Amino acid sequence: MYLFIYQEGEHDVILGRSPVSKYGVNSATTPESRFWTRSKNSLARMTEGSMNFNRISAIILRHYFLTLHQMERFFDVLIAPILVLIMWGFLSKYVQDIQSQTLAAFLLGGMILWVVFEKVSTDIGVHFMFDIWDRNIINVLASPITFAEYLAALISVSFIRILLSLASMGIMAAVFYNFQITVLGFGLALLWVNLFIFALSFGILNISLVLRYGHSIGPLTWILPFFVQPFAAVFYPLSILPPIFQKIAFVLPIAHVFEGMRFTFQTNQFDFTNFWWALGLNAVYLSASFAFFAYTLRSALRSGRLVKLI
Amino acid sequence: MDNKVVLEVKNLVKQFGNFTAIDDISFEVKEGEILGFLGPNGAGKSTTTYCILGLIIPEGGQIKIFGKDVLKKRSEIMKEVNYASAEYNLPWNLSIWENLLVYARLYEVKDAKKRITELLEIFEMSHLKDKAIRDLSTGLRARAILCKALLNKPRLLLLDEPMASMDPDVVDKGIKLLKNIQKEEGITILYTSHNMWEIEEVANNVIFINHGKIIAQGTPLELTQKVLKHEGEEANLRDVFIHLSRGGA
Repeated sequence: MYLFIYQEGEHDVILGRSPVSKYGVNSATTPESRFWTRSKNSLARMTEGSMNFNRISAIILRHYFLTLHQMERFFDVLIAPILVLIMWGFLSKYVQDIQSQTLAAFLLGGMILWVVFEKVSTDIGVHFMFDIWDRNIINVLASPITFAEYLAALISVSFIRILLSLASMGIMAAVFYNFQITVLGFGLALLWVNLFIFALSFGILNISLVLRYGHSIGPLTWILPFFVQPFAAVFYPLSILPPIFQKIAFVLPIAHVFEGMRFTFQTNQFDFTNFWWALGLNAVYLSASFAFFAYTLRSALRSGRLVKLI
Repeated sequence: MDNKVVLEVKNLVKQFGNFTAIDDISFEVKEGEILGFLGPNGAGKSTTTYCILGLIIPEGGQIKIFGKDVLKKRSEIMKEVNYASAEYNLPWNLSIWENLLVYARLYEVKDAKKRITELLEIFEMSHLKDKAIRDLSTGLRARAILCKALLNKPRLLLLDEPMASMDPDVVDKGIKLLKNIQKEEGITILYTSHNMWEIEEVANNVIFINHGKIIAQGTPLELTQKVLKHEGEEANLRDVFIHLSRGGA
């Protein structure tokens, strides 16, 4: 039996138990319909109709100050990606000597683009966790900021950080390994957009899981991207995967991005088929992650979990 | 003189599963008033505060601040509200100045640097502005949090045990500074605390809540006379608190 809830303005009003249909449950209050209705209402509540860029910039300013004060954040943006690049650079150089230049490009290009996905997807969740660990989250959320603005700020911070990482890796790869990621041309930007959107979906999923299960689930933030890696075909073509893995890979936008990257390296042409597949799938994943976030947020606001995150 | 109602809580109900945390409470806080919000642990004080901030959605009732519904106009209302609790920190690695600058932007404070300088002077912290929060003593951290809470010249300030676990000297200084600025800027305050002396010092009126229900209200002196049934001329909220917490009427 479900409580029958209707909306009066922004208030949920509990009337009592719902009338039961011949299927046993009122069709208007099935778990699925409630999920979408609540998600939609929560999205409206999250934005309150508009976004305030002053408040978004406040959170970005805080992350700028934090990066200046905490060397580990600087390390995370510039040094860690460069260290990974050095390792893969040597491996690619070795492969280039014994095999082919294309394979070396696959490896190095794959690694540089994988970092985009891995960093953005973890950054969003980690920045949220930092606010919890600092015991600052309630001070922030008690301010006029809306949840949509807060999320937009975390996404913006990740965007800035990944641009810095990508630029530093691109320069290092060009200088030390004579590898120009820019040979992908405008296609690089398109591949990057799809990677960024898919990583956003993961980041938002991370925050939703923390809202739902508390900060003890935080370490999952670092692990989740690696669940995808075997199917993403970052360093090898999709065709070498077993058929069942290929089917899983097909529904992941990231696998289309890396297939597209390899196609461009091989043919010097942009792979629009894989690009559109990735974009379409991304639209589904991003919508689903926003809906899930809105649903868990509403549930956290109702159950009091939001104020018990610390 | 009839002051305007700043905060209006009407028939508020909050349940967590089968547990009723707030059981149909109603109260008002008028402009310029400091209302002490008292009750034992788990009485529902913090839950009420979170509902007022829009961080918990109640099952029933309505909360209006400046005549507007919190659940409908939260963002607009919160520009003129602020909150402080000793339970929450400012980011430890940022300096006091940086933290206040960030919060000034969040609250869209005009001429933020001037306001921050002014508050740091009032709270005698100007010389510490570049110190990281982690390097401050508990008392200084509480003062930094109070600076944050006053940044936007709030019309309504929600203080949830802002001086918890601080020594009496720090509490005394904090209370004096707060009272001065409250008088100067005419702030309305909802003040939650377990320290009865603190409440006696600051509150014009007191609400006592237990098991999610309001069980007594009035001025500190009225409550003392009514609950302890004696005609003394000095408030003794400590004894009132013990009496009511143990089920006395």
